[in-house]
Amino acid sequence: MLRNYFKIAWRNILVNKGSSAINIGGLAVGMAVVMLIGLWIYNELSFNKYHQNYDKIVQVMQHQTYNDVVGTQVANPAVMAETIRNEYGSDFKYVLQASWNYDHALSYKDKVFFKPGSYFEPEVTEMLTLNMLQGSRDGLKEMNSIMLSQSVAEVFFGKENAIGEIMKLDDKVDVKVTGVYEDLPDATTLQSLEFIVPWDLYLSYNSWIKDMEDPWGSNFTQTFAQLGDNSILETVSSKIKDVKLSKVTEEGRRYKPEVFLHPMSKWHLQSNFENGINTGGRIDNVWLFGIIGVFVLLLACINFMNLSTARSEKRAKEVGIRKAVGSRRIQLIMQFFNESILISCLAFILSILLVIIILPFFNTIADSKITILWANPIFWVLGIGFSVLTGIIAGVYPALYLSSFKPVKVLKGAIRIGRYAAIPRKILVTSQFAISITLIIGTIVVYQQIQYAQNRPLGYEKNGLISINTTEETHKHIEAIRTTLKGNGAIVEMTETTSPMTAVYNTNGGFDWEGKDPNLPVDFPNNAVTEEYGKTIGWKIKKGRDFSRDFGADSLAYILNESAATFMNLKDPVGKILRRGDRSFTIIGIVEDMLIQSPYKPVRPSLFHLLRRQENTFILKLNPAMSVNESMSKVEAVFKNYNTSIPFVANFVDEEFDKKFGNEKKIGQLAAFFTFLAIFISCLGLFGLASYVAEQRTKEIGIRKVLGATVIKLWNMLSKDFLILVIIACAIAIPIAYYIMDGWLQKFDYRTSISWWISIFACIGALLITIVTVSFQSIKAARSNPIKSLKTE
Amino acid sequence: MIKIKDLEKYYKTEELQTIALNKLSFEVKQGEFIAVMGPSGCGKSTLLNILGMLDDSDGGSFIFNGEEVINYNERKRANIRKHNIGFVFQSFNLIDQLTVFENVELPLIYTGVKKAERKKKVHDVLEKMQIMHRRKHFPQQLSGGQQQRVAVARAVVNDPKLILADEPTGNLDSSNGNEVMELLTELNNQGATIIMVTHSEHDAKYSHRIIRMLDGQKVTENSLI
Ligand SMILES: Nc1ncnc2c1ncn2[C@@H]1O[C@H](COP(=O)(O)OP(=O)(O)OP(=O)(O)O)[C@@H](O)[C@H]1O
Ligand SMILES: [Mg+2]
Repeated sequence: MLRNYFKIAWRNILVNKGSSAINIGGLAVGMAVVMLIGLWIYNELSFNKYHQNYDKIVQVMQHQTYNDVVGTQVANPAVMAETIRNEYGSDFKYVLQASWNYDHALSYKDKVFFKPGSYFEPEVTEMLTLNMLQGSRDGLKEMNSIMLSQSVAEVFFGKENAIGEIMKLDDKVDVKVTGVYEDLPDATTLQSLEFIVPWDLYLSYNSWIKDMEDPWGSNFTQTFAQLGDNSILETVSSKIKDVKLSKVTEEGRRYKPEVFLHPMSKWHLQSNFENGINTGGRIDNVWLFGIIGVFVLLLACINFMNLSTARSEKRAKEVGIRKAVGSRRIQLIMQFFNESILISCLAFILSILLVIIILPFFNTIADSKITILWANPIFWVLGIGFSVLTGIIAGVYPALYLSSFKPVKVLKGAIRIGRYAAIPRKILVTSQFAISITLIIGTIVVYQQIQYAQNRPLGYEKNGLISINTTEETHKHIEAIRTTLKGNGAIVEMTETTSPMTAVYNTNGGFDWEGKDPNLPVDFPNNAVTEEYGKTIGWKIKKGRDFSRDFGADSLAYILNESAATFMNLKDPVGKILRRGDRSFTIIGIVEDMLIQSPYKPVRPSLFHLLRRQENTFILKLNPAMSVNESMSKVEAVFKNYNTSIPFVANFVDEEFDKKFGNEKKIGQLAAFFTFLAIFISCLGLFGLASYVAEQRTKEIGIRKVLGATVIKLWNMLSKDFLILVIIACAIAIPIAYYIMDGWLQKFDYRTSISWWISIFACIGALLITIVTVSFQSIKAARSNPIKSLKTE
Repeated sequence: MIKIKDLEKYYKTEELQTIALNKLSFEVKQGEFIAVMGPSGCGKSTLLNILGMLDDSDGGSFIFNGEEVINYNERKRANIRKHNIGFVFQSFNLIDQLTVFENVELPLIYTGVKKAERKKKVHDVLEKMQIMHRRKHFPQQLSGGQQQRVAVARAVVNDPKLILADEPTGNLDSSNGNEVMELLTELNNQGATIIMVTHSEHDAKYSHRIIRMLDGQKVTENSLI
């Protein structure tokens, strides 16, 4: 009996090749999308779980109140770990101080590479999960030691033993390799921890840290910890809350520093803080794509059910005959379920093939490295369970509804199945298009927002700007470098500054000015620059003047951006005095706001003054009259003169600037990808349905043609119904899309408004797609030979 | 074998009610061959559908093999049907997706006959109907007469005790028609009870008894033996 069912099911698939392909293909695409999204979400949710102490690892962070807003930071004073260890040691297994993770020059013999790594207290090897390939876990006990990740070790030593080799760090100190650990996987926050050196080494050549007058006064390191086995995160977090407050100066207390623990489980997905509250982060994307995934799946299932039920109506006669010759109802039910489950399982197999094909492409646009979980039983259970479920749902209508009729009724066609069943089908098609149109509008709004932020006035000229990290040597010889490069025409101008054009490396508080509320704690990005800064980046002086070498007193001068002038509420800012501690500075100029940090947020009040010692970055304006290649090689040659043992690295400011849009661009690309698939699936469904309707009305079309109907009239008759459905879908989708996208835009302080043309565009697009899809079928039907179609009855 | 009394059937459409069967009563004994005749629309097909338990009646009594079946549910009817009744429809009603062989085999599958035996039985009846050479064809590939013969083959393959045939020769030329009638007579001789609807006086002569109907009622009943 079962074989008989399969045979008939299989033959039905083959007989209706076209609609079977649409049916199976559409469902497979939907399943593939859901699989991709599912794998991506799984990857996001399992982030950092590589570390066995995942549940216990935390980062020590602090909230501070600046300019009346609570800011949250990972930066801590260097004494944080030690202090917590001393005062709350029993609540923690480890509390470890660490530096930032950034590129250092590592060299071995004649090989030099920049690799990212951190200084860490030695127990880091116990806290994190490091699978040792060479050496032992206690490799950081000696001060002049270094532990390498596998890939770094391979760069320097190939497959050879690395233990005991002496390397040079930052061209300064010798360090001995004491361990090699397996690379941390991509799905970990500390993935770029490619080498670890002892914290004591850091202290040893930054002796000023130990000699700091107020060790709690600056925040420039990170602190990680592992909770004690029985400690509870929330309890410990509130216990240590005032650890900094109790140590800081009177001035420091105004910032209301509040120390707290941010668990590893939230590092990746919930890293955003808004005014002191953990407001999410990537978790928003997980939700967004989760919802899109559910919708795409819904679309595919709607299709599948629509087409399956539409096709099953053609089989009403079969049901009647089978009953007449003795089939029991249960046998018919089984037969239909069998068939739809077979089809959905075929779709599942096909979807796996699709995922294998799409995955590399998906990984590129989603910037992820997900893989299919071949070995994960949950994946299979979910996949197969889901296929069977879809099959059952799709089979319900034919199985239960058709089989319930008196045989004579279906045989005589006394029940006009089409008419009643068409209503749910219409609802399904409408909701399908409503979803697609919502996605189209959403995608356009995402792109519009990115566009809007990209076109935001920068306040400086980013083209041709490059940044190069300073070194002691190059800092000392900046004048020589500048003269040479200007002389050979490689650059227009260059400057040295605290922060590159796309980030803020330093902020300072403690400023005072005329009319300031004495209790208002402030904190401003504070940039030390050379006199040529403004000329290099092309800032726009609004009031007063730029720094100049002609004025000897400029070392005590400040330039403010417009936001700072507004924030300080200075009526006539130029010439006013700015005080910090017991020193006074004069405001000599106001510049137009420059977009340095988030393109979606207001520009922060910022200050500029002339530099007094080595700062972090050179910024060079390349000569537009010379090709980039030529000027870059000249720049490199000059820098190599001074940095003989460090690789030359320069960053283009416009590239760095584009990275600010990475996340939104990714969302946009993914949304576009899913929207495309959603439209594709909807079209498949529409196409299938249109062909079904055309087929169902073959006889009618034949008779009408015999009686003289034109192709145009028939096309109109067959397409009209669908167009009406799509128009209704537009009416439903527009308000929903507006509501959702308006909510999304609220995330951005600097945001576009949703233009009316977007929905017009989406609706016209949907209508065009519908007309093309439906016309293909209806014109085919309308043009067919009437005799042929009449004969089929 | 069959006893119907005051059988009624109405068709209700929006405006009017059609009385398809109007207090129809008659009896059929085991082994009889009955012809039902009457003008188009007098209720012959309706009667056959009710006798074949494909449709409900709206009143009266229907005793089949001594059992009152008028209130039987779907399951019981299906059970009686598959073991006792073979059906030849006015409009063939073959399943398009199945071959000739498979169409004829269907009733045997539902009564649980073993595969080898099914094959033999189907082949026998196809031989008898002279469409053996067409067994792998699909219904659309056959002429009307050939389809009719497949429909008859399917009705008789299970050796049913009761054969209900709605104009079994309607689409056949006279020689093919006669063959179908010979076949029915032979089945009748082997013990099957046959109720056949026909417009042909010639075919009616094969029967034992003719029931003539008009407007859902029996008008006359004349025995030919
Ligand atoms: N589903 C239905 N709905 C409404 N009326 C029906 C329906 N089926 C049959 N009838 C009516 O019932 C009456 C009897 O129909 P039936 O099919 O039994 O006629 P018949 O005697 O078989 O005719 P013919 O010789 O043309 O096949 C007819 O008047 C017909 O119009
Ligand atoms: Mg009839």
